[in-house]
Amino acid sequence: MEGLAAVALAIALVGIGFWTLIVRRNLIWKLLGLNVAAGGAILFLVALAHRPGARPPIVGLGPGPSADPLPHALVLTAIVIDFATLALALVYVVFLTEHRHTQDVRRLERDEERGWPQP
Amino acid sequence: MGTILFSALTLALAVFALTRRRLLWGVIGVGVHSLALAGLYLFLAAPDVALTQAAVGFGLVTFIYLLAVRRTGKLTVAAVETPCLIYQENERVAGLEWEILSRFGRQLHRDVEVVWASRAEVPALLQAGEVDIGAGAVFPREGEALLLSRPILPTRIVTGRWGPGPVGAVAGDRGQDFLPPGGTLYEDHAALAHALRRGEVEGAVVDLLHVRQWVLSGEIRPRETTDVEEAAFRLAVAPTEADVLRALDAFLTELEETGELAQLVERYVG
Amino acid sequence: MKALAAVALLGLVALLALGVSGVFPRPAVPSGEDIAAAWGAENVVAAIILGVRLWDTLFEILVYAMTMVGVKLGLRLLRWERPLPPVAETPLLRRSADLLLGPIVVFALYVAVSGHLGPGGGFPAGALLGTALLLLALAKGVERLSAEIHEPTLEWAEYGAIVAILALTGALLLVGRRGSAHLIAANLLIALEVAIGAWVVLHRFASSRGEV
Repeated sequence: MEGLAAVALAIALVGIGFWTLIVRRNLIWKLLGLNVAAGGAILFLVALAHRPGARPPIVGLGPGPSADPLPHALVLTAIVIDFATLALALVYVVFLTEHRHTQDVRRLERDEERGWPQP
Repeated sequence: MGTILFSALTLALAVFALTRRRLLWGVIGVGVHSLALAGLYLFLAAPDVALTQAAVGFGLVTFIYLLAVRRTGKLTVAAVETPCLIYQENERVAGLEWEILSRFGRQLHRDVEVVWASRAEVPALLQAGEVDIGAGAVFPREGEALLLSRPILPTRIVTGRWGPGPVGAVAGDRGQDFLPPGGTLYEDHAALAHALRRGEVEGAVVDLLHVRQWVLSGEIRPRETTDVEEAAFRLAVAPTEADVLRALDAFLTELEETGELAQLVERYVG
Repeated sequence: MKALAAVALLGLVALLALGVSGVFPRPAVPSGEDIAAAWGAENVVAAIILGVRLWDTLFEILVYAMTMVGVKLGLRLLRWERPLPPVAETPLLRRSADLLLGPIVVFALYVAVSGHLGPGGGFPAGALLGTALLLLALAKGVERLSAEIHEPTLEWAEYGAIVAILALTGALLLVGRRGSAHLIAANLLIALEVAIGAWVVLHRFASSRGEV
């Protein structure tokens, strides 16, 4: 039941994340949507590792089943790498804003069709 | 139980964050959302992941978003459509105040986005922080606490009479304060002009620029006008954006000193 | 093109169905307790990250370091036309940053050192240390802090941490020695690497704008 709720939430998060990624025209909003979607993907893995009544995967916490430690290990590094790639993406968003004076993808595309304004 | 509760909270926070209009609220919402997500991981028996998510998602990610937003954010303008000052022309925005705002945005490296609004909505939008700047003949009414920029263009509030009948004004405009009892309020200047043309009202308390515009369009010319108050066109700034106001005032001073403001006024107002 | 996409989609669905159907033999996975005991840890996740999947972790760290190099290069390419006016600092922020700084550093070190016993490890500890540095920057101002911290030294420390992680990994993999001491050392090095990377990003972002 609990794992199922978490899986449903993960799918919902990926859904609204991708919705933002597609619908919003501002690049930083798109990155925020991507961020939420990545959180949903991570939650999906963690929810799969969960079993009913499981305890954390640490030895000596008593009897009973423990959550699967492998997805946790996968996800732990993914969170940190997420931060790093997000920083890189933001650097290039700032770069684009500084040079083209806009973060609106539609305006960026229009400018590209017309040829970039010469500084 | 905790899982379901935290799931609902996380989802609600994500929806809240991603449906905001203002980027700052979106960033803060996503930050709190990832904190709730960390709580959820704790309930799903993953304390390592929860710790990492809390430290990275709430601390570092939120902060670099904030830095990037501050560096590149949008300047949102609530504009009342006003001839000469800010108006739409062939799906493009034009006008004196628009010219000033777009140059100002360029200086701050921020995109300028216009949200069209009626005069009565502007103070609420500014107070709620939904927009940064209010434009388009914003004269503060009594009791409205708006931050105002330096004057751009002096003008007057006048009462124009077409006949002895009732007087109209625009809701939320300064003219509303001077409306004699029995007067009618209209949503915007176009509705007021329409009422004048049909003879619903025979007088109006408006600023001189609108009277001039009506005269120039040749349809309705007041028989007499009486001055009510000296005023000036200014830009209104949201109370939370004091540094934007400082930068805007500095920018306007610079425009005045270089004489560009006079050129712009000449071009748009004449 | 559509036919190709349909074939690809069908193939994917078939693979997924095969995967869950049990046609492929499931490899016998040792239990968490065994893995933890074999690597001298109590936290099974730490044993997996720093033991069974050490190579994976190593390359994740390299990806992280490369991304930081990308951030540095990207921000170096930027030419700011006109810096923004600096934000006025508030005494409240300064005081609370001062107060929080010490506890956060201590907690981060605790999380790194005890990562093989309980929840924690190098990655969260590094993120916490990054947050602590951020608070320090808020309290003192980025310019003053970066004047005190010698930037090339920091970069050398980062590269040194990577080299040390590589050496440690090589030693662990070649010699095959296991024990909690190695896990603690690896966690501390990872924390150092992540914290320096986070600091580089925050500092570059902030100082290219003037102030935090």
